Amino acid sequence: MTAALEVDGLTRRFGGVTAVDGISFAVERGEVFGVIGPNGAGKTTLFNLVTGITPPTSGTLVHDGTDITTARPHQVARRGIARTFQNIRLFPELSALENVMIGRHCHTRSGIFSGVLGLGRAGAEEKAVRKRALELLALMGIAGRAEVKARNLPYGDQRRLEIARALALEPQLLLLDEPAAGMNPAEKTALADFMRRLRAEFDLTLLIIEHHVPLVMGLCDRIAVLDFGKMIALGDPETVRRDPAVVEAYLGEEG
Amino acid sequence: MRLLFQKLLNGVAIGSVYALFALGYTVVFSILRVINFAHGAIFTVGAYITYALTGAAFGKNGQLRNASLPLELNFWLALALGALGAGVLGVLVERLAFKPLRERGSDPLLTLVSSLGVAIATVNILQYLFGAENYSFGETLGSMRASVTLVGGELPVVIRTKQIVIFAVSMVMVVGLTLLINRTRTGKGLRAVAEDLTTARLLGIDTDRLIRLSFFISGVLGGIAGALIGLAGSFNHQFGVAIGLKGLAVIVLGGLGDIPGAVVGGLVIGVAEAFVPAEYNAYKDAVPFVVLLVVLLVRPSGLLGRAQVQKV
Amino acid sequence: MLDFLNSQGTIYVSMVLGAVLGLSLYLPLLAGQLSLASPGFYALGGFVAAVMSTKTFEVKGSFPIHLVLVELVVAAVLCGALAFIVGLAALRLTGIYLALATIAFVEVLRVFTLNLELTGGAVGIFAIPQPFGTQLSYLWLAAPLLIIATLFTWRLEKVRAGRAFAAVREDELAAASMGVDTTRAKITAFVLGGVLAGLAGVIAAHQINTWSHRQASFDASIAYLAFVLIGGSRTFLGPVAGGLVLTYLPEWLREQAKHEFLPAWAAEFLRTGRFIIYGVLLAASCIFFPRGLITPELLRRIKRIGRGGSRPPEQKLRAEPEAVA
Repeated sequence: MTAALEVDGLTRRFGGVTAVDGISFAVERGEVFGVIGPNGAGKTTLFNLVTGITPPTSGTLVHDGTDITTARPHQVARRGIARTFQNIRLFPELSALENVMIGRHCHTRSGIFSGVLGLGRAGAEEKAVRKRALELLALMGIAGRAEVKARNLPYGDQRRLEIARALALEPQLLLLDEPAAGMNPAEKTALADFMRRLRAEFDLTLLIIEHHVPLVMGLCDRIAVLDFGKMIALGDPETVRRDPAVVEAYLGEEG
Repeated sequence: MRLLFQKLLNGVAIGSVYALFALGYTVVFSILRVINFAHGAIFTVGAYITYALTGAAFGKNGQLRNASLPLELNFWLALALGALGAGVLGVLVERLAFKPLRERGSDPLLTLVSSLGVAIATVNILQYLFGAENYSFGETLGSMRASVTLVGGELPVVIRTKQIVIFAVSMVMVVGLTLLINRTRTGKGLRAVAEDLTTARLLGIDTDRLIRLSFFISGVLGGIAGALIGLAGSFNHQFGVAIGLKGLAVIVLGGLGDIPGAVVGGLVIGVAEAFVPAEYNAYKDAVPFVVLLVVLLVRPSGLLGRAQVQKV
Repeated sequence: MLDFLNSQGTIYVSMVLGAVLGLSLYLPLLAGQLSLASPGFYALGGFVAAVMSTKTFEVKGSFPIHLVLVELVVAAVLCGALAFIVGLAALRLTGIYLALATIAFVEVLRVFTLNLELTGGAVGIFAIPQPFGTQLSYLWLAAPLLIIATLFTWRLEKVRAGRAFAAVREDELAAASMGVDTTRAKITAFVLGGVLAGLAGVIAAHQINTWSHRQASFDASIAYLAFVLIGGSRTFLGPVAGGLVLTYLPEWLREQAKHEFLPAWAAEFLRTGRFIIYGVLLAASCIFFPRGLITPELLRRIKRIGRGGSRPPEQKLRAEPEAVA
């Protein structure tokens, strides 16, 4: 079975700093794959490399059998790879509904003129997009806030909105950058349950960067541990927990 | 060969004033990361104040036609006072157009447009008061020779005394500014604020005062540059706008916020203008803008600037 | 009465064209690009009309409308092509850098046309044939242009393409990550603005009867910027209202100057001080009305009053920093 994502020898240098150093792993379809490591270990850079925001210095990226090493962000998105951001990047002045509707962009086709004139498919497409966006908002529990501007939403709702928007893309692979940031323990447990449901309902492969180690241990099928840009461990939670290199580098500090 | 040398001299002379003017932008930009579009207007006001202080009369149009001040100062004294006046105007502009926006965390573009509005209003107030005429400074050199012949013969290479003066004053100001920034405590404060405004404030530095100071310095530089360019030729209410745009080309070329960059940029553009062949004289005005376009398209950070890195 | 309308005809046409030019700046702004390039395309469009009607078409007497339509098409194509090139070149530029590049573009274009024989050099082209006998009749061309442009923009913001522009404006990186081709969005918005400005230029050239390099001026850039920033940068009605009102403002001031009771200096101020007022309005607008006078919130409130009902105002849960666009 082709892996959902194959990362091979991925490296990224910025001037004198090597942010990501020769990382290789394969994510199986349907897996929940965790990426953990101390601050500055290169986790977000890894996500940026996968999603085409940062071009790799060397190495390859293969998604579903297709090489996406040089793909640009919107091309990566069109292939069904969606993500959320560590610092939440919503469209602040747009409503929650509009934010999610943009997630449908690459699944719709109407151009400027057919859209403006309301020709043919455009009208029906517009209705379908709106309907789907409302469904996703409802799924995330924020349907009531559909018309609220994204920047006026409380933090928790903003996080949910970002996920709704990512889901609108109909991704096969969903990258979540610290989805539990700012949550209390109860919320984190709820989040873990939610992730499991998401994976099942949407037939997703999940790639999660997370700081909160217990969450990752409980949720992920396999975990990669990064430190100073290098991958120092890869395996199921039990194996990783016992790996001495990991203990030394990371688990020594309470996550 | 001589022609080249002559052109080089002319270019450097005018380039030094462009550099001086551009430094006004740079000082403000390095601290606030905004372009003070009112700089060109302040520069113009500086020239007008200097002119008024020399006791000269204003022309036939405008509300203050034929008016003149009841004093007649020596050009250099008038220049100094005019520069101070321009500095004060700079601080005033900061209070009116920049501070309210800064306090609200507004987009730098908004601040830019606000300063643009101030510039337009100011320049047109000048026109309203003093008419659209060209003004020039009278006899300022006294008993000094009008020009110095560097190389004699059939094709002499001549440098006008005015050019020497302009170059000298500009360079003195540049050196003075560099010394201020690098060798004084105040300069250290300015550099700290330029590095990181919030941290500087947290460290107890009076950032408001330093921001006011930078606008004052910027105004002074502009005022001196204005009078110097007026000295080189003539001036009117509009010339600040043209020079203002030129100054933007200078700082983009040199790198926004970079002091040596502004000097290099000014000299390069001055020389580039001087080297435009006579047949293409009509295109001379386009030189700074072509330079601006090329730099923006090829290397927006300029010659000496640092590229901006975007954090994700 | 007719005489009065005719003498006012020029200003009405200018107002309508002003609104069009406001929209030409609004369109790139939808995708987050503050472009001051409109005067360049406006001038180019005018030159297309001027050159074609004086040199290409041999016409005696009144200039036929269908030839004006031909000019409009040619201008649209040329301005579109040039805007495509400029937009492509300026792709990586944002904010102040983009604004500066567009200012430079206009100036370079101006100096170019100043020195080209085809465009009449310093003097420009004059005696441009007129399709209409009266000034007011130019509304037959200008008004449809404004109406179409306004409807187009209104619809654009409601559909997929317009949403894509907004996404790029709000957060280019996030937009790309969500599948929006940001390059295509930005260039398209830029081209739309350029074409619109060019079309306005064609009509203006015939209306004003002469055309020169002076039409591509920095002052014009400022004026259009004022239309959008003062009128309202967040809704298509803003630039339209801004263009109409601010174009009329100097006229109105000049009329006020005729009042007997005003001292000479005040009258003179009203006559020639319109740029002073523009400048002050521009600065004041940035400080007190960063989004311009006509905002989406204002429109919502008007709609609510119209409906007679009232809904609780939207909950503001955090403080809002201001942005230009």
